[in-house]
Amino acid sequence: MGALEKVTDGSLIGKRIPKKDAPEKASGKTRYIHDIDLPGQLHAKILRSAHVHARIKSIDTSAARAMPGVHAVITAADVAQRPIGVAKDHLPLKSGLVRSMRDEIAAVAAETEEIARSALGLIKVDYEPLPIVASAQDAMKPGAPLLHGEDLVVPGPDGKPLVAHKASLDNVAMVFSYMQGDLAKGEAEAQVIVEDVFQLHYVTHCCMGVSGVIAEFDASENLVLYSNTQVPFLHKREFAEMLGMDAGRIRIIQPPIGGGFGSKLDIYPFEPIAIYLARLTKRPVKLVFSREEEFLASPTRQPVLLKLRSGCTRDGTLTFRDVETVHDNGAYTSWGATTPFVMMQTISSLYRVPNCKYHTRAVYSNNPYAGSFRGYGNLQATFAVEAHMDRLAESIGMDSLEFRLKNAQLPGEVTPQGMHFKSCGFQDCLRVAAERSDYQRKHCEYRADWSDGNAIKRGIGMASMLHVGGGAKIYPSDGCGTILKIDDFAHVTLLTGASEIGQGSETVLAQLVCEELGLPLSAVSVVNNDTDITPWDVGVHASRTTFIAGNSALGAARKAKDKILAAAAAKFAQPAEALDLRAGCVVEKASGKKLVEISKLIRSLHFSDKAELVMTTYYYEPPSQHQDREFRGDVSAAYAWATQVAEVEVDTQTGIVKLVKVTGAHDVGRVLNRLGIEGQIDGGIVMGQGYALTENLIIEDGVVSNPSFRDYKLVTAPEIPEMDVAFIETMDGEGPQGAKGVGEAPAICVAAAVGNAIYNATGVRITALPFTPENVYRALHSNSQPPVWIDAA
Amino acid sequence: MSANVDIEFRLNGVATRAKVPAAMSVLDMLRDLLGLTGTKYGCGEGECGACTVIVDGLSINSCLMFAADCHGREVMTIEGLASDPAADRLKKSFVEHGAVQCGFCTPGFVMQAHHLRGKHRHLGEHEIRRGIEGNLCRCTGYKKIIEAIADTGAIAG
Amino acid sequence: MPIVAQDELPAAYFAPRALDEAAELLRAGNVTILAGGTDVMPQSKAGRFRFQPVLMNVRRIAELHGISEVDGVVRLGALTTITELLESALVRTHFNALWQACDHFASDQLRNTATIGGNICNASPAGDTLVPLLIFNARVLLASKANGVLTTRAVPLAEFFDAPGRTRRAVNELLIAIEMALPPAGFVSEFYKFGTRPALDIAGISIGIGAVRAQDTLRDVRVAFGAVAPTPIRAPKTEAALDGKPLATALDAALDAAADEIHPISDIRASEWYRHELVRNMLRRMLEHVGER
Repeated sequence: MGALEKVTDGSLIGKRIPKKDAPEKASGKTRYIHDIDLPGQLHAKILRSAHVHARIKSIDTSAARAMPGVHAVITAADVAQRPIGVAKDHLPLKSGLVRSMRDEIAAVAAETEEIARSALGLIKVDYEPLPIVASAQDAMKPGAPLLHGEDLVVPGPDGKPLVAHKASLDNVAMVFSYMQGDLAKGEAEAQVIVEDVFQLHYVTHCCMGVSGVIAEFDASENLVLYSNTQVPFLHKREFAEMLGMDAGRIRIIQPPIGGGFGSKLDIYPFEPIAIYLARLTKRPVKLVFSREEEFLASPTRQPVLLKLRSGCTRDGTLTFRDVETVHDNGAYTSWGATTPFVMMQTISSLYRVPNCKYHTRAVYSNNPYAGSFRGYGNLQATFAVEAHMDRLAESIGMDSLEFRLKNAQLPGEVTPQGMHFKSCGFQDCLRVAAERSDYQRKHCEYRADWSDGNAIKRGIGMASMLHVGGGAKIYPSDGCGTILKIDDFAHVTLLTGASEIGQGSETVLAQLVCEELGLPLSAVSVVNNDTDITPWDVGVHASRTTFIAGNSALGAARKAKDKILAAAAAKFAQPAEALDLRAGCVVEKASGKKLVEISKLIRSLHFSDKAELVMTTYYYEPPSQHQDREFRGDVSAAYAWATQVAEVEVDTQTGIVKLVKVTGAHDVGRVLNRLGIEGQIDGGIVMGQGYALTENLIIEDGVVSNPSFRDYKLVTAPEIPEMDVAFIETMDGEGPQGAKGVGEAPAICVAAAVGNAIYNATGVRITALPFTPENVYRALHSNSQPPVWIDAA
Repeated sequence: MSANVDIEFRLNGVATRAKVPAAMSVLDMLRDLLGLTGTKYGCGEGECGACTVIVDGLSINSCLMFAADCHGREVMTIEGLASDPAADRLKKSFVEHGAVQCGFCTPGFVMQAHHLRGKHRHLGEHEIRRGIEGNLCRCTGYKKIIEAIADTGAIAG
Repeated sequence: MPIVAQDELPAAYFAPRALDEAAELLRAGNVTILAGGTDVMPQSKAGRFRFQPVLMNVRRIAELHGISEVDGVVRLGALTTITELLESALVRTHFNALWQACDHFASDQLRNTATIGGNICNASPAGDTLVPLLIFNARVLLASKANGVLTTRAVPLAEFFDAPGRTRRAVNELLIAIEMALPPAGFVSEFYKFGTRPALDIAGISIGIGAVRAQDTLRDVRVAFGAVAPTPIRAPKTEAALDGKPLATALDAALDAAADEIHPISDIRASEWYRHELVRNMLRRMLEHVGER
């Protein structure tokens, strides 16, 4: 009794809270999709195209079908297919035309993986090779082969032919145009104009767990899909449409995932293929990629060719940005084609730019297609924008930090694109990152050393980023549902629509709920990752989970708290406003005096004449807007900023750039789980380091030349920089406990900062990524060509 | 027809028998034949360390070792660390330092770190970074993993 | 992923414990030799090599283990692992370039298993240990029972590599040891491997140099290159340009000679031009460094 009389502040907010599932993961007990085996399951393998671009003349699967242990072999001819993907230009199994090395020609389900793999070798395909369209540039030449030159016609739900995707007669898949202000006026007002062409390359997610799926139709022909999707509810609806099934008979269970990073936001052929095989064989079908297949067949980051013109006045005011981009859309359309939505936010609103024009074309080619990848186009846009911030500052002789501060927005500003910056820590991010890294002094010092004759050069560079921090209203709803119950022992079960993909969402939700209910973290179990059990959530993307699922969980928790306090108020004849929940008890708010344990109160509610349980629900829809047809609208409930300063060492005799230190200042609204957020930032910075310096998916004539970790270089432990991260807590009014989303932010501006640092070290500006040693060496020794803009015919 | 090889070895301290195809890897034997799924397939070519196990006191990539070569040897997997107090401290350190996110790479790191700690009296940050250079992680950026390994308390033995 | 048919897997497996037994099995000439497995396993899965009908695991042959020195000649058993080389005081003291190459080899897990014999027989043009072994005038010992009697022959390593991935080992021979004479007094050596990581990189280029320093002059100069020719190579012209001359005056001629002796190709790791630049810049840096030691 004595120990609980006066309850002191035991707030969980801002504390270091270990991830709830970490002990299980550290013991190797967690069962990822690769570790799950269902009774009677078959193993599936996919036969991919032997050519980059070809017509399929015939496929003979008879020998494969006859092989002992093979249960089914399917091609497009065997299945009634509906198209998948963002633009519905994509059938899971290809017929007629193959357009990339990934293309799925056939699939086998067999007793073992070995048999399935051997059976693939017995499938005979007769191809007529076609000329390869190896780049967006080639695709735009007059007379280029048309990659989707015919309408994609499929049987509709009523059996009649349906045009799923209209032909593209110029290989253009998607076009975006955005305009704010008056560009001509902005150009006229500019006293200094700079122009560059930037080339952003192919990289890939390299999740440590390869892609996999298990599909099973139960005895009532309901589908259970074990999927690593990041959008289970969207998936459910799309599969229902695709399979001609009632969505209510599809259940998606998400096993623990070996990394997401945006790689699992679309439907990729391997999942429908596994489902077709499961339906055909009436057995569970498990399909797991090899690592090589993962490199070849999972979506990449969107490569971008970007032309940027920017201008400012001599007193350092930005006046305009004019951007054109060409996106290699690859063979089929996935989320990569929609990266312009995000890119235009940065181009129009990272720093105050009154006049802006943005135009982009996504163009089909025979290359692998791009999906969504942490940052979603923002790395590419920021790389260009921040290069120009440095160039403009230099052109007018202004200090690069002062130039940025002059143009950085303040809280309360509304951008021409309609984004309302309610909480905004931009200026603080700039100042804090600069101060902690000694940026201004070093920037001058290193620049002065250009001609000192040393082979090793030091440089420091800065870049900032803007990204959504309160969801992104691109789907009809950007919400998340929560169901919460508290049992007779004050144990909370939180059923959340939000998926946990390794980012720690379940821990942060538990933390928020425990904080609200005054309970220890051990008192909460989080249930997620099952569409039959949890309420709807649009998915894990756009750094939205802490903000939106957090507010949803808080809503449900507050309702539960209100109910408990109302019961306590009645019992103790005190107003509910005078009471609180702390340390597992109902207490008097002012004095901290304990009145009763929560569990006891709940039991008294339960075992009474008017029996009641504590069960609450809440659906949180953020107060953001859909963009209008001109892409204007307050698309997120909050926005987040970060500034990163990169310090590098450039060995001018080898071109090796060593990333020595990254200093970051991140506007996160409020730190909830300090351990979790630090880990997200560390990981994001190193992912950005890979993008800038080491990772390069080499594609030549449509073929990936380096589909292995041996030749696709992820950053390893000895290579990481010193990382110093400061959190700017702007206490967002809408965010849960003031927090904003941070999942993507730390990866977004690393490459931009490194590019600026290399310039500061050497006087050479490189506008193409990656900064591999040979690329840097060539640039330093005038043996490379800057990227060249391509004009449409 | 592939030859099958009868092997006898100690697996996590327990005398074990198995019949393995000649070309089968230790990784496949552990996961597919023996049902021990804690050791992970990351790449199959010794570049990522997710498959790290300890054989005769040395950490190795189980995807590269031939299962037949286990005959007469001592093999330890992540499951075998369950009853080792030093490993327990190490795992707790991973948890407390936030060194686990998606967790897929974690068993490989724990095995490698356990091996390093058993082998070196002193593990400075440099030795740790070099010691785990064969283990890839995509989530954490390695910083907290290095801190977790460095925060060893007393090194056993 | 390439598809391996069932009949391409080994039909028989042996793990002999004595050299004689291994040599006897090799007489049939249809054997894949398994040592550490760090090359055999991934290459077979990738379809870059096919198993012979017989898979022979040599790891239990005692004669193939151990590092010893007799009468100024150091013998490394073929199964000596990279880790064992790193932990050997003999290697650290007398064969610094080899020690450095081992320190930049792959990863701890791979160092624990990969063997020096395996590294040699894999004969990669970029093989990390091969360049230092060349500058130490290593020779390989090969054993066979071709005539029914166990015999050994020695081949200088510089004559052992035939083509990328191929040595002059006969199919019925087993590589059992590597021998190197202790270098002369005052011999210093250094190894450089180009990469962005300390170890887990396949060399873009690699360089090994060794010499006896006498004031500002280098004598008994050895220079070897990796990843710039079909096999690792010694560079006699470069050595001649340096030997017995003051380093400061010989440096440029040596770099020109090196440019002439190397024949790099362009591949996904590096272009021919860049490899030339790297050799020039890094050889200069290494020589200047050795000159200062």
